[in-house]
Amino acid sequence: MKGSLQTLIFAIALGVTSAVLLTGAARITAPYVEKNRQEEKIRNLLAVFEINVPAGADHEQLLSIYRANVVEPKETDDPKFYRYVPGGSGESRAVAVHFIGKGLWGPVKGFLALDPGLTTFVGVTFYEQEETPGLGGEIATKDFTDRFKGKKVRDLAGRTGIRILRSGASGPNEIDGLSGATLTCDKVQEMLNQALGQIVKEARHGE
Amino acid sequence: MANNPPVPPGGPKGKQTLREGVWGNNPIAIQVLGICSALAVTNKLANSLVMGGALIFVTAGSNLLVSLLRRHIPRRIRMIVEVGIIATFVILFDLFLKAFYFEMSKQLGPYVGLIITNCIVMGRAEAFALQNPPLLAIVDGAANGLGYAIVLAIIGLVRELLGTGKVFGLTVLSGQWYQPNQLMVLAPGAFIALGFLIAAFNLLKGPQAEPGKEAKP
Repeated sequence: MKGSLQTLIFAIALGVTSAVLLTGAARITAPYVEKNRQEEKIRNLLAVFEINVPAGADHEQLLSIYRANVVEPKETDDPKFYRYVPGGSGESRAVAVHFIGKGLWGPVKGFLALDPGLTTFVGVTFYEQEETPGLGGEIATKDFTDRFKGKKVRDLAGRTGIRILRSGASGPNEIDGLSGATLTCDKVQEMLNQALGQIVKEARHGE
Repeated sequence: MANNPPVPPGGPKGKQTLREGVWGNNPIAIQVLGICSALAVTNKLANSLVMGGALIFVTAGSNLLVSLLRRHIPRRIRMIVEVGIIATFVILFDLFLKAFYFEMSKQLGPYVGLIITNCIVMGRAEAFALQNPPLLAIVDGAANGLGYAIVLAIIGLVRELLGTGKVFGLTVLSGQWYQPNQLMVLAPGAFIALGFLIAAFNLLKGPQAEPGKEAKP
């Protein structure tokens, strides 16, 4: 009986100590983690608009560049367009939407930017992805995302959608995929086309 | 146990413990423990190093705590206690990465959290920390973590170099004459690299003595 009580007390003491310690650590790190998340989103949005960020820019610099160039969507907007309006010019150079799609292993988040006329890709970024490192994970690299620049959202017959091919992309809406990451590329094509479908449909609806 | 004189970590026993963990009884190359993460995160050298660092921190920390508490931990729940202590250290490290090395934390994904289930950490707590004084337990934990880290670093280096032609993301083998072998980045590459590494360890160490027998040349 005495042994059981001791065991119980030990277990409770250990559990409480550990819980207090971890809660404390989580509270201390929470603002940093939140800042990292926000910064990642901002960096991706700036990247997709091709807005230059000086190397080694700190959080404040990043925020000021962001506020000077990007107009966030209002709650009621549909689709929710982030607009690239270079410092006070009043004219939007590009629009972007945030998307979340299903990757091969887990959700993939990203931004998709088009020209204001919604015909041409300005850029694409992927983040918070869990694709296979070194293979599907390469979708997050500039080498891959750069392939989207200048591509059209429609094929020659006028159908909306981008196509990611294994190789030999030639059409206005075709790009080369990543070798060894065909499945991830298929998923990427799917999520981008879903996002595109949404924008194009919504935009027509609004016209 | 109670009569054991305290052993300074630099003493002969400390050195022997260190050598055992890193070389003589290397957790991966000799005991073939904890190879799940050794296979999963080693396609880049930087990832391997951080993972190795995590294991050094966790194994040394949990060994210390288990050793300090070794006379008070109720036997019946000792494994649960060990896992609790290990989990606490792992989550601390994970939080640290998420707050200050966000990029790395994203690349390692779930594997940092999975250190909780790494057999090396639990194994050292069970086999060493429960019977040995705190300072020696830290040495043992750090040594085993180091043994793990070194093996991971070697596999990471080989895989990144052969698989992408790069080291730390910088191109070393030029694309003009070197065709990166994608197999090395994929899972089979990890198995192949680990196999060669274990073979090399055995070759260097000479014939292995069976427990209780003398090795004959």
